[in-house]
Amino acid sequence: MSHDHSYSARSPKIRIEALEDLLVEKGLVDRSRIDNLIQKFETDVGPMIGAQLVARAWTDPEFRNRLLDDADDVLSKENISGAEIEHVEVKANEPGVHNVVVCTLCSCYPWALLGLPPSWYKSPEYRSRVVREPRKVLAEMGLDLDEETKLQVWDSSSETRFLVLPERPSGTENFSVAELAALVTRDSMIGVARAETL
Amino acid sequence: MSEGLVHDIGGDLGYGPILHDPEEPVFHYEWERRVFGVMFQVLRITAQRPGEMRYAIERLAEEDYFKHGGYFGRWEAVCELLLEEYGHLEIGELDQVLGALEGTGPASRARPIEKKILNLLPDDVGVKIPGAKTVRRELPNPPRFKVGDLVQAPETAQKGHTRLPAYVAGKQGFIVAIHPAEVLPDSSAHGLGERPQHVYCVGYDGDVLWGSQSEKSIKIHVDLYENYLSPVKKR
Repeated sequence: MSHDHSYSARSPKIRIEALEDLLVEKGLVDRSRIDNLIQKFETDVGPMIGAQLVARAWTDPEFRNRLLDDADDVLSKENISGAEIEHVEVKANEPGVHNVVVCTLCSCYPWALLGLPPSWYKSPEYRSRVVREPRKVLAEMGLDLDEETKLQVWDSSSETRFLVLPERPSGTENFSVAELAALVTRDSMIGVARAETL
Repeated sequence: MSEGLVHDIGGDLGYGPILHDPEEPVFHYEWERRVFGVMFQVLRITAQRPGEMRYAIERLAEEDYFKHGGYFGRWEAVCELLLEEYGHLEIGELDQVLGALEGTGPASRARPIEKKILNLLPDDVGVKIPGAKTVRRELPNPPRFKVGDLVQAPETAQKGHTRLPAYVAGKQGFIVAIHPAEVLPDSSAHGLGERPQHVYCVGYDGDVLWGSQSEKSIKIHVDLYENYLSPVKKR
């Protein structure tokens, strides 16, 4: 080598390109499987799956009770399966109680219900701070809770995954499940936001 | 962060604002897509045991954990580490392909696998596996603790992989719920058997963790494996 390529060779972009080519050359990976997986998580899996569950829970008290009582059973009956939902617990926000989810040790997240986690959820800033000063973190993210509201933080340190059931916005009494699901954001099911209002 | 544990950052001070974008896409760059796809192909031929991939990530050098492209950068680094450790790549092979100096890649800076002390791990018992490809197990023995019990994990965990966050070590909390029993990652990540455990959701009041400076009316819940916990006598 006539000169050192170490500077650019430190970049993960350069390294993954070379690594993928090398692994294909060695016959260790299959590029079509790589492409299929990427496509699946960009199009088929995402927060719309969790949003459907939330919207149904808002309109059907029996479904809501089942979801809070035994989410695994509901997911099994609804044929919702996939990565990172070995055991799911749903935590309901209600007047005076707010829930928020984190994984301080890595970035555990219910993939099959919400898709891949957003960058901020995986950031050291969120992971370190939301267990120590959750009110401040939520306020910075635009969610002010009054002092009387109990704030429950759920750190995903085992294989249990958590989904927050946000409160139904007022003024949506005549909404269909589909219209309601459109108000349920990813952030509201992690617990850093409320469901959208009209 | 506890000593030598780059990932165990719950409650650490000094971190700034959260860069929050409610509308962010699944991937920001094409290279992140490729890392995501490659990772699962790499896992098929490397880390198969529960906790093994996480432990590999935890062994990355601090600079690679935090400053090598974030989450997908960590995954890129861990692909290299696992491929070298499993012998699918020669040590430094990717650096050679890239024409880079030896030691440019993150695998060269990763920490080695720590030895677990076997008699500090719980015994393995025969159990039922409820389904294919799950870490859930059906234990013959009932849970040692019940909801409402006051419990405590030791001040320091054994070296190597664990799911005991340092910020609750040595603190007293109440059992809030009992989850399905699971394979113990502290053992399985190290190839020492499943040693499945009952798993508890333990709730800690803010002031127990953070003292009088704690925000009011906050409760932090952490899921802990039975072997981490000892009973605390209520006063």
